[in-house]
Amino acid sequence: MNGTQGGRSPLYVRPMPRTWWLQTRRYRRFASRELTSVAVAASSVILLALLFALSRGRDAYEGFLGWLDSSGAVVLSAIILAGVLYHTITWLRLTAHIQVVRLGRRVLPRRLVLAGLLALWGGVSAIVAYLHIWL
Amino acid sequence: MSEQTKMLRVARYRPERAPTPYFDEYEVPYADDTVVLDALNHIKDDIDGSLSFRWSCRMGVCGSCGMMVNGEPRLTCSAFLREFPAQSAIVVEPLQYFPVIRDLVVDMSDFLDKLKEVKPWLIRAEEKAVEAGEYLQTPEEIDVYTQFSGCINCMLCYSACPVVGEDPEFLGPAAIALAYRYNLDSRDEGRGERREVLEQETGIWDCTFVGACTEVCPKDVDPAAAIQRSKVDAAKHGLQALVWPFGGRA
Repeated sequence: MNGTQGGRSPLYVRPMPRTWWLQTRRYRRFASRELTSVAVAASSVILLALLFALSRGRDAYEGFLGWLDSSGAVVLSAIILAGVLYHTITWLRLTAHIQVVRLGRRVLPRRLVLAGLLALWGGVSAIVAYLHIWL
Repeated sequence: MSEQTKMLRVARYRPERAPTPYFDEYEVPYADDTVVLDALNHIKDDIDGSLSFRWSCRMGVCGSCGMMVNGEPRLTCSAFLREFPAQSAIVVEPLQYFPVIRDLVVDMSDFLDKLKEVKPWLIRAEEKAVEAGEYLQTPEEIDVYTQFSGCINCMLCYSACPVVGEDPEFLGPAAIALAYRYNLDSRDEGRGERREVLEQETGIWDCTFVGACTEVCPKDVDPAAAIQRSKVDAAKHGLQALVWPFGGRA
């Protein structure tokens, strides 16, 4: 593709390939991060479907739980879990990249910010798991 | 001992000869301290004087010699030939996502316009007289923006950013990082003026945080962080304006 340059030689504008996101490791990593947000959406949809089934009464709720126990749903849940974990960890890494934590003149290293965020996430997840499994 | 050589596959664009770019191959001698820029200069001096490329300082300061080296935006003055596998040719191309003028030379006028657009200078609501003295800063106030003041305008970040490729109107990493640098400066009062440029459709919100700009930056400026933090600032300002629409920090 050529463009003009005010009467001088034409400029060459390289076309952007549609598959640019496959070109480099960084772009593939970015695409994976964005793609796994679908898993986050899917987990939300399952949760909403569970609540919807609950609102329709005991039979609908137990029917839905039965579907969740099926081998297909277990495989789907495993895939969704892997996607959600990947998305969450990469998301927290980005958050640690943006968030500046200052202690006087010192800036807390990103690794420590990330460790704090991961610990917070792990803690909240543990509380939710405790409430779900033992209560 | 026989001289080591390496093959360079160099992109050529000579509109008077061909409407699209093509590659020429050159075999160049190299030592441990030979960089791609040295190899290009060797080609120009001893093999093919028609090859065009930009360079100046040869020490990673001027930012002139940025090119794609094996698909990666690099300053060619700091890309050593010894880094690359012996068997395959090193591919040298002009910075991607920029229009090519000739061979390895890209048109940077759009980039320069974007830099000017963000008003990268100290803006004061009211200038004080020279006799009134300097605008003083504490070391802590300098620390806040120092990292973002290291940009050498090499354009590697633009060449790494797929958003620039998809939307050439995007303000881009270096310009936003520069705006952020001045917004952080305690002597500056131009945040409001820059906001219009940063928050336009092709400003900070165009960025999808690929993060490649930060990874290729030879000066560790971290434009990706500057852009995301600018988004946080913009969101905070928007929220403040909603909750307290009677003014506040510009």
